[in-house]
Amino acid sequence: MRTRRSRRAPLGAALAVTAALALAACGTGSGSGDDSAAPGSPDASAEIVIGSTNEPTGLVRNVGGSSGVSQTMTRNVYEGLTSVDVDGEVVPTLAESWDVSEDGLTYTFHLQPDVTFHDGTPLTADDVVWSISEAIGPESKSARKSDLLVIQQATAVDDATVQLDLSRPSQGLTFYLASVTIVRDGDTELTSDNGTGPYRFVEWVQGDHLTIEQYDGYWGEPAQNAGVTFRFFQDTTALNNALLTGDLDLVIAEDSPDQLVQFEDNPDFTITEGTSTTKQIWAFNDREAPFSDVRVRQALYKAIDREAILSAVWDGYGQVIGSMVPPTDPWFVDQADVHAYDPDAAEALLAEAGVTDLSISVDYIPDGTTEAILALLTKNLADVGVTLTPNPIDDATWYQKVYTDHDFQTTLMGHVNPRDVLWYANPDFYWGYDNPQVQEWVTAADQAPTAEEQVELLTQVNETIGEEAASAWLYLDPQIRVARSDVTGFPVDQVTESFYVADIVRES
Amino acid sequence: MRAALLRIGALLISLVLASVVVFVVLRLLPGDAAGATLGVGTTTDQLDQLRSELGTDQPVVTQYVQWLGQVVRGDLGTSFVSRLAVADLITQKLPITVPLSLSAFVLAVLVSVPLGVIAAVHRRGPVGVAVSAVSQLGVAVPVFWVGVLLVLVLALQARWLPAGGFPRTGWDDPAAAVRSLVLPVVTVAIAMSAVMVRYVRSATLDVLDQDYLRTARSLGYGRWHALARHGLRNAAVPVVSILGIELATSLLGAVVIENVFALPGLGTLLLDSVTSRDLPVVQALVLGLTAVVLIMNALVDLGQRAIDPRLRAKEVAA
Repeated sequence: MRTRRSRRAPLGAALAVTAALALAACGTGSGSGDDSAAPGSPDASAEIVIGSTNEPTGLVRNVGGSSGVSQTMTRNVYEGLTSVDVDGEVVPTLAESWDVSEDGLTYTFHLQPDVTFHDGTPLTADDVVWSISEAIGPESKSARKSDLLVIQQATAVDDATVQLDLSRPSQGLTFYLASVTIVRDGDTELTSDNGTGPYRFVEWVQGDHLTIEQYDGYWGEPAQNAGVTFRFFQDTTALNNALLTGDLDLVIAEDSPDQLVQFEDNPDFTITEGTSTTKQIWAFNDREAPFSDVRVRQALYKAIDREAILSAVWDGYGQVIGSMVPPTDPWFVDQADVHAYDPDAAEALLAEAGVTDLSISVDYIPDGTTEAILALLTKNLADVGVTLTPNPIDDATWYQKVYTDHDFQTTLMGHVNPRDVLWYANPDFYWGYDNPQVQEWVTAADQAPTAEEQVELLTQVNETIGEEAASAWLYLDPQIRVARSDVTGFPVDQVTESFYVADIVRES
Repeated sequence: MRAALLRIGALLISLVLASVVVFVVLRLLPGDAAGATLGVGTTTDQLDQLRSELGTDQPVVTQYVQWLGQVVRGDLGTSFVSRLAVADLITQKLPITVPLSLSAFVLAVLVSVPLGVIAAVHRRGPVGVAVSAVSQLGVAVPVFWVGVLLVLVLALQARWLPAGGFPRTGWDDPAAAVRSLVLPVVTVAIAMSAVMVRYVRSATLDVLDQDYLRTARSLGYGRWHALARHGLRNAAVPVVSILGIELATSLLGAVVIENVFALPGLGTLLLDSVTSRDLPVVQALVLGLTAVVLIMNALVDLGQRAIDPRLRAKEVAA
């Protein structure tokens, strides 16, 4: 089901094969088990150790985007009424099924029977009502709150049925509900007792690791391994060293191809390349001149050789994009060529807009990737007579200066969320793109009577922002994982926030 | 007695001043914990709400007074980001950082003192020149680079020692814990020894040129005997003062090197907290480190007095 990928090297093909193998999973690894008794048989008592750079910030619910918590615990320890599975599809989870009223304003969810929390108490409709109400309540600081505000009220019809009343129809509701995990009535923090997933939360030692273990009383298919420890690293060299020396079974995301050399052609490791939803963006402050002029944005976009940038940063991995939509979102259309690299056209457009001697500042958070992008960007733009002034800042400063105060000209940023094209319909978002037509389409799309109409409207949004170069989308990060070759069953693509670990096996 | 009280008073005043500086500087930084915690997707209202919960919307003076009041009562507060108790966070990391920096310090002293003395005595010989040259190199090379090199050779190539990390069970498995600290300790010790060798060498050179040593030699003592009997005690005075500073350096070195070795110690915590503007954690850590440095300096002063009667005499005269 994967869409186009831009790998050209033979290595790419080799990777596709390994990726397919890893997907096929179970029982067919190349088997380099150290002192393997019976190579090829999955070891159900194995504890899998996974390396990651994305650590949870805290266990209090509804604080920000909490991507570290989602990655490690959503679906594994905590479940929603629905889930987004590893292919990006919405699937029933704690809700066995649901009915939608004809006007699309009432959703009735029938809860999965026999679900227990990790302390053994049964899940009831009250727990669901509490968890959803808290996420949209006045105290909620969840990054998903605005998406969920379409819910006016959650009520328990009986112990096994929950009804949601909406203020308007919402095509996105079941997708958004996947991020609202259900805990026990009244709980505001994640604990070892209040999840319902295949694993129970054991401990989180800040700065080091988070451990989960298989829960015996799980209502669904039990996990294929005994437990998982996520170890957190700030330094990616240390992360890869740990994998090399056998301290880790798997690294969720490699952040540069340089690190891969040591694993390529090494039979002890498998490298997989999948697709991610992380878009690297050079965002303009569209509310300010000269970026308020469509021609200037288009000119700047055309001035950039995205292929060259992608190959400098990712060396053949990844994919050039021409809009905010990753190929795994339903409203993807390939727009990479709409504003293809064309310095002459860029100069002509700048002249037409009457812009000369343009000098632009770029706020960025310095790391290997942004430095590499910036170097090429600076050269590309110098070719069309535009000067870039780099302004390195740190994360917290970015949130203040760029995200909150909108005090910037342009910025380099990676955006990881799926389906976040909707931010182009919010004129108060940091890049300040303000197109009433786009806003209307986005509103209409969520209220559309059918999913097809929703997709059609959002495809128009996608095409329009691409044509108007609302931002300069550079490329989509590849999702590169490296595993010990006796470890299989992990998702290759990363199209949701969670990293589902229950199918991972290590051969004994 | 009066001198000791004065010292303690000065120490407390320095601590308070340091805490004011830390407090103000941290708040001059752009960005805040609310923004860093909530991130993309949240609204301005949600940000303001979190700020008022954390109290960061209050005037700096109010915040400082509240914080100081807590600290005086022994309460270091709660992390802005993880909402865990700061005291717990720090206590959790001590079993890594304290053994790391103390062992590195002891190792560095054991290596640098003999080497420094030898380099001074044989200053024109090949041994002396070699020690000087190597220590010069050690000073010039950044500490994390030494760490990376050691990992490459001893962990990744030879597979003798772990490349990083600390056992999840901590010191319950002492052998594993020690193994994981060997490379970091050696790394920090190398960087420190390089500096300390040079101090020991020059302090020893100083006393070698003194008249009393020449007199001792003229009385028939051998070179080493004269030095051992009359020289080392004198050479120790400046060296002890530098040892105090170096013990503090070893803490800071540990902070830098923890990142390279993926050790979940105070340094990793400090980096994390500065990045996310987790002010209660940063304040507590910086205050703690400052206290250690100031106390070390005070001890060094007392130590010097014990070694050198002239310092005691001066005080009496004054």
